[in-house]
Amino acid sequence: MTLRNLKRPARRRVVLGVAGLAAAAGLGGIAAFRAAAASRGLAIRTRAGVAFGTTVALTAAGRDPATIEAALTDGFAAMHAVEAAASLFRTDSALAQLNREGSLAAPDPHLVALLRFALTLAAETDGAFDPTVQPLWPVWSSAAARSARPAADALRAAIDRVGWRRVRLEPDRILLVPGTALTLNALIQGYAADRVMAALRGRGIADAFVDTGEFGAVGAHPDGAPWRLGLADPRDPGRLADVIAPFTGFAATSGDYNMSFSDDRVDHHIFDPSTGHSPGGLSAVTVTAPTGLLADGLSTACMVLGRDRGAQLVAAHAGCAVRFTDKV
Amino acid sequence: MIFWDRGLAPSQSRTAALRFHTARAGSFTLRQGDQPRADAHLPSPLPRGGWWATRACPLCLALLAFLLAILPASAGQLDRAALESHFPPPLVVGEKDGALPVWPILKQQAGAYEVFAYAFESVDLAPIPGFGGTPPDLLIALAPDGTFRDVKVIAHREPVFLEGLGSEPLFAFVEQYAGLSAKQAIRVGRPNARAAGAPPQTTVDGISMATASTRVINQSILASALVVARGKLGFGAANVGLSVQAKPGLYEPLGLPDLLARGWVKRLTVTNAQAAVAFKGSGVAESGEGAADAVLTDLYVAYLNVPTIGRNLLGQARFDALMRELGPDNHAVMVLSTGPADAPENPVGERFVLGAVPDRLAVSQSGLIVGARDMAVERRDAGLAEGLPPGNWSILRIDQAAGFDPSAPWVLAETIVRERGQILSEKIARTFPVETALPADLFTRAKPDDGPSWTDPWRARAPELAAIGLMLAILVPVLARQRGLVAHRRAFAAFRLAFLALTLGFVGWSAQAQLSIVTLVGLVRAATTTHDLAFLLYDPPSLVLWAFALATLLVWGRGTFCGWLCPFGALQEFVALLARPLRIRQVTVPAGLDRALRQLKYGVLAGILGAAAAGSPLADSLSEVEPFKTAITLSFVRSGPFVAYAAGLLVLNLFVYKGFCRYLCPLGASLALVGRLRVLDWIPRRAECGSPCQLCKVRCRYGAIAPSGRIDYPECFQCMDCVTIIHDPAQCVPQVVDRKRKRRSAPHPMAVT
Repeated sequence: MTLRNLKRPARRRVVLGVAGLAAAAGLGGIAAFRAAAASRGLAIRTRAGVAFGTTVALTAAGRDPATIEAALTDGFAAMHAVEAAASLFRTDSALAQLNREGSLAAPDPHLVALLRFALTLAAETDGAFDPTVQPLWPVWSSAAARSARPAADALRAAIDRVGWRRVRLEPDRILLVPGTALTLNALIQGYAADRVMAALRGRGIADAFVDTGEFGAVGAHPDGAPWRLGLADPRDPGRLADVIAPFTGFAATSGDYNMSFSDDRVDHHIFDPSTGHSPGGLSAVTVTAPTGLLADGLSTACMVLGRDRGAQLVAAHAGCAVRFTDKV
Repeated sequence: MIFWDRGLAPSQSRTAALRFHTARAGSFTLRQGDQPRADAHLPSPLPRGGWWATRACPLCLALLAFLLAILPASAGQLDRAALESHFPPPLVVGEKDGALPVWPILKQQAGAYEVFAYAFESVDLAPIPGFGGTPPDLLIALAPDGTFRDVKVIAHREPVFLEGLGSEPLFAFVEQYAGLSAKQAIRVGRPNARAAGAPPQTTVDGISMATASTRVINQSILASALVVARGKLGFGAANVGLSVQAKPGLYEPLGLPDLLARGWVKRLTVTNAQAAVAFKGSGVAESGEGAADAVLTDLYVAYLNVPTIGRNLLGQARFDALMRELGPDNHAVMVLSTGPADAPENPVGERFVLGAVPDRLAVSQSGLIVGARDMAVERRDAGLAEGLPPGNWSILRIDQAAGFDPSAPWVLAETIVRERGQILSEKIARTFPVETALPADLFTRAKPDDGPSWTDPWRARAPELAAIGLMLAILVPVLARQRGLVAHRRAFAAFRLAFLALTLGFVGWSAQAQLSIVTLVGLVRAATTTHDLAFLLYDPPSLVLWAFALATLLVWGRGTFCGWLCPFGALQEFVALLARPLRIRQVTVPAGLDRALRQLKYGVLAGILGAAAAGSPLADSLSEVEPFKTAITLSFVRSGPFVAYAAGLLVLNLFVYKGFCRYLCPLGASLALVGRLRVLDWIPRRAECGSPCQLCKVRCRYGAIAPSGRIDYPECFQCMDCVTIIHDPAQCVPQVVDRKRKRRSAPHPMAVT
């Protein structure tokens, strides 16, 4: 389960999203792309921002710059709507309210969509993926502030409050068993990529690259080259471990490096709901899928399930692929 | 600032946005050397006399309704393009935040974006009304670690900067925030406070004559930064104003081993092998000499304020002396080096500078550096003789203002620097931290409530307030007891001159408590737009005088303030003393013209308050009809036209005594209006007053006595001349006549006096 540090923007993996950027890093290179794109009559715009506690960037291409700008504005509006529904970085989100009050009437549709998917995946993975691991977070983060690991009894008390069956999703209401707290941080960025892509499509954008913390791409770069997604080496974020090219659809990565409680990265922000500790075995998992939500959920589940059971899970979903990086 | 051009040089195109916005807010003096245009500031020609006074109000109301309809509400005014001009490439202005009016400013690094700063306008988050009643608008860039990248003035209506001082000192003032941390309570000190030794991380230099305005600006910056810090950076600046003190009575005799065992004293040992690991890959990993387990540095780290730690380590006498020297609320951390004293790694070795901020040791908390300075306490033979190992130490002082919380975990980090290369050597640094976490029950925590710091000026100006209080306490009985000092012509004249000297020198020039129409403008703006009267609290002497003036208005009328407590009035009175030696004769204003001119001030008042109610910056310009700022607040240090105007009024005063007060002063007009509620007709009258006697009428330099003998209280300045006359049997004509008559009828001759 991905739990990102509540406030501090997580350390970003290095992703070289725009085609060919690795080869021509630098302003001159970008100018060259612009020229190539312009010669095909296409404009390209990028807009960056901060959402989900990290930086995000949307890139879209098209014939009419005004349409692109409008599409990017819609894209950010979609992201803000998802944040308002389910971000734990915002104390005024619907999810934060649900955690505070234990129930929520007439919940935000985004929250319902995320939670429905989370509970389905929890059932499918027999609880390896679980949106109710939030009570583990304060136990670990406060221990980490003391450079220690949590006391066994504190951890046990937190695990007793974890369990996806403690959530009731009714048509018009969400109910939590007292003591339960939800996190959808493992899904929200992938889901946001879906929403942003839909918003861009609504403006007729056919070529776009979306970075909401997870990634989505459609079409190609206006210079004609396919979009490429670079995957950073989890142990050396400056180095590329792999490149997905051409990249279309959605990709999500879960890893032990984004937010670690210990220098050796044994303890990090992904918890095995059954033990309350971080799963060993894998350092990072990248899943490509037809939707960002699926990619994000599967990648987190794979971290907990491990290589073999994770591969089985992904194989059961059409159009999905997975890359594992073993822990070193 | 590399990234953020201040954008003030007129030749640069990106200044356009800033200048446009500032101009819109009413500031005309942006560029250095720009002289304020006289036509923009001096009072516009005003309609004459009674017509204006009677028709002004309905007219103003209509104007007000119109202007209110077209004026936008107070809000941030910068758009994406303006932000981009402030944060030019390679910085990227990110999409405005979904929850807060904050723009992330990003920089691109290795294909991903990083947050360089969060930029926001203070008026969106903390619209604190300034001295003129309008909140200043500042563009603030806050780095993710809570440091101010920069602060810029977008718009302000602070009267003292709008005209007079000009905006340059304000721009220089806000520049001081760059590099300071929003996690600390920053205070406005005196001018040159930093140079005079105030802690530079928590103090900005104030501006003389602009104390109230700079405090409001400071509040705006800190309050808006706090909102962003809470919303975006994950810290609530929780430590601002926090006072955590070790409980002084809690003492337990313990030796060093016990303290180490409890974790109350920490030990930081760096061996050759550990250093090699840390420096791995830097090319200098192997430069430490000796065996792998050879110790490079060995430090003991202790928070001394806790008696169980400090007293046990230092002994009673040294501990007490240290705590005395430290002062309340400050903190002392000892770093004792017991490793090889001559090793280059020793942070308190040969190159350690007593009394300096150590370059190799740093205290931090929650990831932020806490300012710590060596106290220059030399070790010599100090310390627990049998327990504390030998070695040099540094006792570091942490100022209370640093927001250090010793009851929360904190880190001492030692930096080890190695050089690579022989000729053009490169310095490679690695830090080695050790964390101390002391039990919270060793401390008492006192956190002041988050209320605004309006109490500060009251505390800071207590002596001035006391002196003003004393002045008022003397004035009231003197004026109330008409048969006391008032009846003694010479003594009372001396008292009056002495009092007016204090009013001018102390109340006016020193305490800067000249009441002004600007305050009423602020009140009107508060009533119509900002709904916040807090700005009044930042200027305690003025508020006290306002309260006194209002109270005396109801008893005696406007005269108590206008005649006794107005510094410019006092200045006019002193200047008027020159008329006789200069052989200047008063000009007699024809009665009809005099009556019309007296109404003029009400027109001025209506114009100013009407403009203020309509939210128009014209109110600020019209307020310049008052020469108070020029003559009193700024002591004539101001551009030519203003000085000429104020001086002109003083010269006019030689020919038409207090002509400004009687004909023009909008403040006097407002007081005269409220003064109509006065309960006492306190000037004694006789049947003969007016008919036949005209002595008081002729002697009244304010023309406040009608030929009928009636007192025109709204025009009375309470100079007491007529009261002195009426209580002086040798001056009051009816009494003199009366006495002569009695003498004539008396059978016995009396001694002629």
